[in-house]
Amino acid sequence: MNRVLLPKNLPELWSFLENEPEARVYAGGTDLLVQMRARCADNLVLICLERIAELTGIREDEDGFWIGACTTFRHLLNHPRIREQIPVLAKALSTLGSPPIRNMATIGGNICTASPAGDTLPPLYVLDADLILSTQSGERVVPLSGFITAPGKTQLERGEVLTQIRIKKPEGYRVQHFEKVGQRKALACAIASMAALVKTSPAGVIESARIAWGSVGPTVVVSPDAEAALTGKTLSPAVLEAAADLAGKAMAPIDDIRATAVYRRRVAANLLLRIGT
Amino acid sequence: MKSFIPEIGCSIPRADGEAKVSGEEKYATDHYGDGLLWAGVRRAGIPHGRIRGLDAGQAKNLPGVIAILTGRDVPGTNRQGIVHKDQPVLCTDKIRHCGDPVALVLAEDRTVLAQALALITVDIEPLPGIFSIDDALRPDAPLVHEEHSGSNVLLAATVDKGNAEEAFSECDVILEETFTVPSVAHAFLETENGIAWQEPDGKIVLVVSTQAPFRDRFEISHALGIPMDRLRIIGPYLGGGFGGKDGATVQCLLVLAAIHAGGRRVKMWWSREESMAAGFKRHAVRMEYRLGAGSDGTLHALKCRLYYDTGAYAHLGGEVMALGMEHASGPYRIPHTLIEGWCVYTNNPVAGAMRGFGVAQVSFAFEGMMDRLAEKLRMDPLDLRMKNALQRGDKNGAGVTMTHSTGIVSCLEAVGSHPLWKGKEQWMAEAPPFKKRGVGVAAVFNAMGYGRGLPDSAIAKVELTAEGKIRVYCGVSDMGQGNATAFFQIAGGVLGQENDAIELVQPDTARTLPSGSASAGRTTYTYGNALIQAAEELRRRIIGRAALMILADTVDELELLPGRVKHLKSGREIPLNILASVMPPEDRICISQFIMPVARDGLETGKAFFIGFPHLLFSYAAHLAAVEMDELTGTLEVKAYLAATDAGRVLNPQSYEQQVHGAIAQGIGYALCEEIKLEEGRILTPDLATFIIPGAMDIPDMMSISVETCETSGPYGMKGAGEVGINGPLPAIAGALAQACGIRVKTAPLTAERILEAMVEQQTACERKPS
Repeated sequence: MNRVLLPKNLPELWSFLENEPEARVYAGGTDLLVQMRARCADNLVLICLERIAELTGIREDEDGFWIGACTTFRHLLNHPRIREQIPVLAKALSTLGSPPIRNMATIGGNICTASPAGDTLPPLYVLDADLILSTQSGERVVPLSGFITAPGKTQLERGEVLTQIRIKKPEGYRVQHFEKVGQRKALACAIASMAALVKTSPAGVIESARIAWGSVGPTVVVSPDAEAALTGKTLSPAVLEAAADLAGKAMAPIDDIRATAVYRRRVAANLLLRIGT
Repeated sequence: MKSFIPEIGCSIPRADGEAKVSGEEKYATDHYGDGLLWAGVRRAGIPHGRIRGLDAGQAKNLPGVIAILTGRDVPGTNRQGIVHKDQPVLCTDKIRHCGDPVALVLAEDRTVLAQALALITVDIEPLPGIFSIDDALRPDAPLVHEEHSGSNVLLAATVDKGNAEEAFSECDVILEETFTVPSVAHAFLETENGIAWQEPDGKIVLVVSTQAPFRDRFEISHALGIPMDRLRIIGPYLGGGFGGKDGATVQCLLVLAAIHAGGRRVKMWWSREESMAAGFKRHAVRMEYRLGAGSDGTLHALKCRLYYDTGAYAHLGGEVMALGMEHASGPYRIPHTLIEGWCVYTNNPVAGAMRGFGVAQVSFAFEGMMDRLAEKLRMDPLDLRMKNALQRGDKNGAGVTMTHSTGIVSCLEAVGSHPLWKGKEQWMAEAPPFKKRGVGVAAVFNAMGYGRGLPDSAIAKVELTAEGKIRVYCGVSDMGQGNATAFFQIAGGVLGQENDAIELVQPDTARTLPSGSASAGRTTYTYGNALIQAAEELRRRIIGRAALMILADTVDELELLPGRVKHLKSGREIPLNILASVMPPEDRICISQFIMPVARDGLETGKAFFIGFPHLLFSYAAHLAAVEMDELTGTLEVKAYLAATDAGRVLNPQSYEQQVHGAIAQGIGYALCEEIKLEEGRILTPDLATFIIPGAMDIPDMMSISVETCETSGPYGMKGAGEVGINGPLPAIAGALAQACGIRVKTAPLTAERILEAMVEQQTACERKPS
């Protein structure tokens, strides 16, 4: 029999964590509960974060958004300012799982699960999201880009909980693109995904490009070479193809039941061509 | 709801709809009970080996474990199988696939059950495995069944007519291609399950999710040595079957468990993973085709070799192959055919019946050949099909004369005159950037019934109840396809009674009569014909007995109306409850049997099949798929779909359309994404996260046109509509892909990866050519 603790506020959470240092922490449970069923896990202590009001909600300020880690994808997708200001994230959210999963799953959970295929990770990478990690005694801010160290591994320390995500508005990025390739249109784990932010001058010259790929490496893949190859150019097929070639070199995909590494690399690089249309 | 008389030809609501939506209707899974025990199976987990020992000591000592049974505890033959009895209920000696059962555990609850199953250790000496058709056919191959005729060939057969070998020399064009299709799972919502118990008098009752309750009784009796009159099988509505519940799944295990449960109820309910591992699958098939034609497109000769991987046990492997061979030449007139087939044992999961029973596979091949021929001859693919399509009076590829309704030409005409076909050039030209569009067609057919060698029979029973209502005892299961609603309409139509005065009893060997399996597009056809006869007899009887009460000297002036019989001349009425009260019970019940007609041609071919060949009646369909392929990802999206179907007259347009839509959706899954992936007999796609079935977003709007021929032998002119529709999507979509980008994929499913790889090959080939 597993025991589930349901803290109602942060002080209660800290005391539970202190008493049960081995407890597994979760919010929506859409990953953890599935894993537990597969492994027939028993006699675990679980701490569910979903009833802690401080961890849920979206606050907008001048520069961007503060998002509570336990905010569900449905909540985010329903937020008109998120859809308007950061469509690259909204597009990723709308491809994630299915309506029931989006009702349960949270943005913090997607980050802490640290799957190479996590659908929100490429957009959060190109948005340079920061994470607020809290403990009973204080908090620290770390960039998402260094937070995930390997599949399923993060910099979260014992007793530490991801409480908020900080996203700055991507001012001036006219192109905000996300695309996922899966085995079907919904309820699909990404075979490859790509998020892109591109800022162009009135003349169409690329001033800045931020691109990140999912499912083609142990964590999200970025390619400074590809970004540099785009900067100062226009969004022409030849320029994009050259950048796609460079991007392919940065990827380290694997073969698995869903796709081969060869296909993953090929398709992930190809996705870059779409932003020219 | 307002009362109505459920009449033939109307889209009346499903007879089971309200009870299912409200949760009142109980599926097998909904049955529990006080003092319930749970039963589960320890499976081998290795594909081929010999059992050296089994240690259940620790498991036995676990509190809450009631019994642990092995093959030695099985009374009777310990063999199940519909045609070939080669599958043990519990393995005693040899393991033939990973899902083979080695021990049966009864426990107080599911937690204890899981713990006990994990504590059983089985010592198995591994044997070299057979994991492919070629492995199985090697002369020195290890045998999956040592007792079976010295080879792994379950059945080898030939279907031929004319002289194909010679006829190829008369052809202007000859094409060759080899196609392969994978094994797939039915993926019904309700996995295999049931509940069983022993009554105080020793009789055993089994409530089970099954397509064949009466055959189950026979199988259990044979395997466990229990007389049939000691067994009662109840088959409620199913949460999907698609062929996967046509044959023993939990049946023998549960009855064995019930014998050891001391009268307590025992429930078994396979998880999705167990259903994948131990449930039946669609056969993987390799199909080598050679097709010859005249320069005008007239088909002249066909030769093909079909190899079916039936997995560890025969189940219906031979019969599936027989139907595939019978359909291997398509719904076409081909004077010379030579179709050879081998159905082989392997150490893969057990293959068996699935919607489109052997035919869904060959449809990919024969329609693929037609597309290739059209391309070669620069003919319109629809014209080529029309030119060769079977007409009444023609002989089909197996040599059977088409003496009944044969509507394939009308189906093709309906597709040809549809805006999706007429406007296809413009639609294809309007493809957005990085997309290629194509429109493909397929002509398919599907036989009905069991074929020769086995009576395709149903026995209908209909009662005027003591309360004056009509009760239909359905002997054949409804797995969601809607036959119960058709029976409701037939009873309502013949007897003129309103919906709330008609009651349906689902299959129960103690109450209903043997009516065969819910399979083979036969369910409504065969039982419906029997029910018309029984209901007409009841109608005559009600009027005749009313004449006695009303003192009418002729029945001509009496009419059966809702709830009453009326004497039209005098206006006098007898309510049915009054009439029923004076009729003895045996007088209120009418029973009638119907047997499907069979082909009369004296064939000198297909002699290897002692049942299931050939067939007389076929449903037909022409399908159109409009697809869009993404050049960057290889992803194929079906944008629009049209099916023109000849399943005779339509008894209920809504039920009919649901059958067509469901078959298309399932067929799109077969075309695009479904595949059981195996590695040395182990399933790499054990759940619905890895075995990919389509979701709502993968299925386009589907249009269904009914090309209503009249099948004079069918109830009100109908034929089976359930299966033919699944045969079209794979070939139609493959044809559309070739139209879009020139790529002809010969291995299903048409995944994005396969398509992108083919495109890269195509580009490489193009780049090489000019130099």
